[in-house]
Amino acid sequence: MIAQIKINFDLCKDPLLCRQCLSVCPSVVFVCGPTKIWKGRETDPQEYRIFGRYLDKCSGCGDCVKVCPTGAVDLGFLPKEQLAQRYQEERIAQLKERNS
Amino acid sequence: MCWVCEKYGNGEKWYLNPENYARRLYKVRKEGREASGADADPQAAGMGAGVVAELVKARISGDLKWEEEIKRDALEHAYQTHFGQVVTLDEYLQILDIAYPLVKMTCGCRRVQRGMPDEENFTCMGIGPGMYKWERWPETYRGGVEFLTPEEAKQWAMMNHKEGRVQTVDVFGTPYIGGLCQCEYPGCVAVRNRLDYDFKFLLKGHTVAKVDREKCTGCKSCLGRCQFKSLNLEVYTNKAYVDMDQCFGCGLCITACPSGAIELLDRESLPGLAENW
Repeated sequence: MIAQIKINFDLCKDPLLCRQCLSVCPSVVFVCGPTKIWKGRETDPQEYRIFGRYLDKCSGCGDCVKVCPTGAVDLGFLPKEQLAQRYQEERIAQLKERNS
Repeated sequence: MCWVCEKYGNGEKWYLNPENYARRLYKVRKEGREASGADADPQAAGMGAGVVAELVKARISGDLKWEEEIKRDALEHAYQTHFGQVVTLDEYLQILDIAYPLVKMTCGCRRVQRGMPDEENFTCMGIGPGMYKWERWPETYRGGVEFLTPEEAKQWAMMNHKEGRVQTVDVFGTPYIGGLCQCEYPGCVAVRNRLDYDFKFLLKGHTVAKVDREKCTGCKSCLGRCQFKSLNLEVYTNKAYVDMDQCFGCGLCITACPSGAIELLDRESLPGLAENW
């Protein structure tokens, strides 16, 4: 099974200052990055967003869900075969578009 | 010598060639991709965020050709703009005599991967003329920069080595070296992606560690020093084991050994590893 992580950005308002999920994850599955880069000043912590990136490394321990103060982390699982098929189809479509 | 040395080393190791630390302070328009690495947000160039998302998909799909294609395209770009290589502490200290000015700054990787607050995260070193205009990229240099004298920088580098961080040189617009990192697995994006996805954004160093099995007493002092999953204890013989094929040559295990049982060999002196970057 492969993790599917969805963050509800309406609930996750202050990711960089909160950083609970980033900090607790035993497999460092999450990343956070700025959604805006300003000229002349630093990006506000609230303008960061957290994503589940290294999904193939997620063990499914669920600590991120437990630790999130706003309940913004949704952790689900899909069979690897199902995801593999989805991505293989994406790849075929990508190659088709490239060759057209 | 690695391919970067052949191209930019001028007969030396490329990161000991002073030319690669020099850059104009005024702007010269350039054609092509190199320009983007030099003038765009330095951390964004080659950090490969989108690339890794694709790589994870390809890895899950099991399509090796796809994975290879993603890496090949990404590296072709990265090698022109932003990539790194492991160096030894000795080499790092030599660089601190070549490059100027030197500043401490936050580590973008640990911010991205762990959300570390800037005030606890001054573990990178920015170097060279770019530091005179660091304010152009306030997001990259969150929390500002702290200028160091070469002597202070050396003390700081030795402290980092002692604490167990891998030291690397980092290119910002090849072959210009604009930073020195103190890295670890998995907090460093470059080390993580190299180990977990064999993404060669970070090159191995010019040295390789080798255990002298006669001298090793099995004291275990070196265990825990390796950030590349290349060092463990052979329990049955009670000797340290270095996977030389996987070793990046940082030398962290060597400085922890009280018996002088690990030596750092020149990668080129080992025919089996000479092209293993």
